[in-house]
Amino acid sequence: MLFSSIPFLYVFLPLTVALYFAVPKKLKNGVLLFFSLVFYGWGEPKYLILMLFSITQGYIFGLLIERTRESRRSKVFLTASVFVSLLLLGYCKYADFFIGSFNSITGLSVPLLKVALPIGISFYTFQILSYTIDVYRGDVPAQRNYVNLALYIAMFPQLIAGPIVRYSDIAPQLENRTHSIENAAYGIRRFTVGLSKKILIANVLAELVSSFKDSGEQSVLFFWLYAVACTLQIYFDFSGYSDMAIGLGRIFGFCFSENFDYPYISGSITEFWRRWHISLGSWFRDYLYIPLGGNRVGKSRWFFNIFVVWFATGIWHGAAWNFVLWGLMYAMLLVNEKLWLLKWLKKSRVLNHVYTMLFVVIGFVVFDADSVGSAFSALRSMFGFGGLPIISAQAVYTLKSFAVVLIIAIAGATPLLQKLFRRFEKTKAGSVVLTVAEPLGIVLLLTVCTAYLVDGSFNPFLYFRF
Amino acid sequence: MKKKDIFVVVAASFFVFGLALTGLLMPDKEMSVSERRPLAGFPGLSFESVADGSFQEGFEEYSPDHFPFRDGFRTVKALTAYKLFRQKDNNGIYLADGHLSKLDYPENLDSVKKATDRFREIIGWYADKNAKVYFSVIPDKNYFLARQNDYPSMDYDRLISFAKNEMNTVEYIDIIDLLELSDYYRTDSHWRQECITDVAGLLAEKTGTVLDETYTEKNLSDSFCGVYAGQSALPLTADELYCLETQATENCLVYDAENESNLPVYNKEKLAGNDLYEVYLSGAKSLLKIENPKGPSDKKLIIFRDSFASSLAPLLISGYREITLVDIRYISPKLLDRFIDFDGRELLFLYSTGVLNNSVTIK
Repeated sequence: MLFSSIPFLYVFLPLTVALYFAVPKKLKNGVLLFFSLVFYGWGEPKYLILMLFSITQGYIFGLLIERTRESRRSKVFLTASVFVSLLLLGYCKYADFFIGSFNSITGLSVPLLKVALPIGISFYTFQILSYTIDVYRGDVPAQRNYVNLALYIAMFPQLIAGPIVRYSDIAPQLENRTHSIENAAYGIRRFTVGLSKKILIANVLAELVSSFKDSGEQSVLFFWLYAVACTLQIYFDFSGYSDMAIGLGRIFGFCFSENFDYPYISGSITEFWRRWHISLGSWFRDYLYIPLGGNRVGKSRWFFNIFVVWFATGIWHGAAWNFVLWGLMYAMLLVNEKLWLLKWLKKSRVLNHVYTMLFVVIGFVVFDADSVGSAFSALRSMFGFGGLPIISAQAVYTLKSFAVVLIIAIAGATPLLQKLFRRFEKTKAGSVVLTVAEPLGIVLLLTVCTAYLVDGSFNPFLYFRF
Repeated sequence: MKKKDIFVVVAASFFVFGLALTGLLMPDKEMSVSERRPLAGFPGLSFESVADGSFQEGFEEYSPDHFPFRDGFRTVKALTAYKLFRQKDNNGIYLADGHLSKLDYPENLDSVKKATDRFREIIGWYADKNAKVYFSVIPDKNYFLARQNDYPSMDYDRLISFAKNEMNTVEYIDIIDLLELSDYYRTDSHWRQECITDVAGLLAEKTGTVLDETYTEKNLSDSFCGVYAGQSALPLTADELYCLETQATENCLVYDAENESNLPVYNKEKLAGNDLYEVYLSGAKSLLKIENPKGPSDKKLIIFRDSFASSLAPLLISGYREITLVDIRYISPKLLDRFIDFDGRELLFLYSTGVLNNSVTIK
């Protein structure tokens, strides 16, 4: 089920909220888990079993790790849990990728397994891994209550598109959390903003991307329009989902960590990755990069660690070589920045943004491509080596038709609007006006978002490969 | 506790729970009048349908279709796209010079070729050796609207000259110069019958007959919301719908071969339906025969046509003893000799650019 859908907004969510707040405290986790399983099973009933199996193995191994903490068996149980988790992820997500790659290299034709990818498996696998590793490290006690652990992993707000919530961050809230009007109001605001980012910006830009892909009249201008729109679409889609997740979590009393912090204002790729998909970046840092030795090793080993992490980051996003290329491109850029570029970038406030956004845009063209070949073909066309005209009538029409949305998206990708809002909120007039205007604004945004959903407007789901 | 927080929670809850409850209490509709389509029904609920996901899929179609105030929400969406985001079109429908139209570009010559190949096959199968065969292309309203308002447009000259070239063994009748934007409804794709008497006159002249041009104009409706009105969801003034009556339209007989029944030329019962344009010869019909007992005995015409001919044929009937209207989007042309006597008939292939450019529907 998608957050940005009528069944979610007007059937699932009211039912969940009503029942959740109607039942006594001790039943709240059970209610939330039940609805989370319904949410997941709605789209993929058969994969519920797989997810429950993953949760159960995490639960059992967590207890076993804790029980044998002082002995070697603890490591064996951790290894077993990690192995089971990665085996499931590997089989569902990467089996056909490896077989296809093997076939391409050897010329053989080993039949593909054609395994459908269970939605959200990358997210919940990482959450289970973080739980068992944290228990092994002694950072958190094992969760004895199965419902609580299952809720941590399957909680519907963050189940299919993150943020990747750390067990250590949320463990106390599973037992005891605050429900208040302030939390609910914050959650509603955040959810509405996220929903609007997804429906009014990302989905509209997705129409531009789709019309570019369907067009037989391409040009350099059209390629750049596509590249910029795609870059903005991915941000608004992904950060919109994160906002909705954080908002929903807060309504139910959970505080999820932030996942995006205006990444497109970054002055370097290093800064970009501190602001983009923060929960994934910190997961890889804590559970892969640092265990590999991080930067406290020799230079060649350090480079190796960076490349491993970015290979993993790339392939986490999708089982295809263009995602690997996307990850490795960032590895190269980050190594260069760490070695020499960063100090130069700090000298220019304009060029550093141009450099960062150029590679971010290039990165998302690679990310969005069907294959490495089509990624390079798109890049050639963007830079005028595709034998295309500079401008085409359809590109000009598309630019005119989407200009306002693009401007809103670019402004919305910076903290400018939020700063203006906060500044106004702090004034005396602002606090009075916003008491009425903010609730009205939320209802207005909900109305327009609902209107787009009722109209059956383009509503793609980007996370099917994650 | 801030007052603002309370307002936010109350307002959002009222909105979401209110609409959810209204949706639950409102009876389902079967049809969307404005969109002219049946609405999705509630999916069958069973263990199997849930397990295979068909219930969920069906419910995701059902729930927006039966959402409370659906038409109002669609209007909000259209206005947001046009007025706030200044988008040039909404779901492919655009508004220019007070007219709604649908983007249709670029020209698809493969589609035109598929259509003209079929036309030539029909001529080869059925037309007498000496039969006169005519071909004419009706420009859709984008011809007068798209390029002039900076909308992408097909290259009409290229499309029409390609079609003419493909049909070069028959006489082409050029009607484009007789048409202008105001000859089309503002909210619909079709031309207005009261504005195409000159087109009828030219076709009659070229096919060697004379029409009774003493038309009596009758207003059928002031609230004709054409196909684009519903699709656009914009609040626009409706069109007026007229019909032109002659003695021939009063006296002729219309036979619907599909339903084996007689129909009026102007079927007023259709004024109570979803598409008022169906008042002309009862709308989409695969095979109609119009007999005019007082028409010249040697003038019998078979028109291979799309919906544009529904409003044109009543104007032509005074010049013919018989007009057969064939819509090969609804009947296979291979079956035609079972129903139509082609002896001594002239053939007119009269198609709009929209159908030629999207000829997948032609059988």
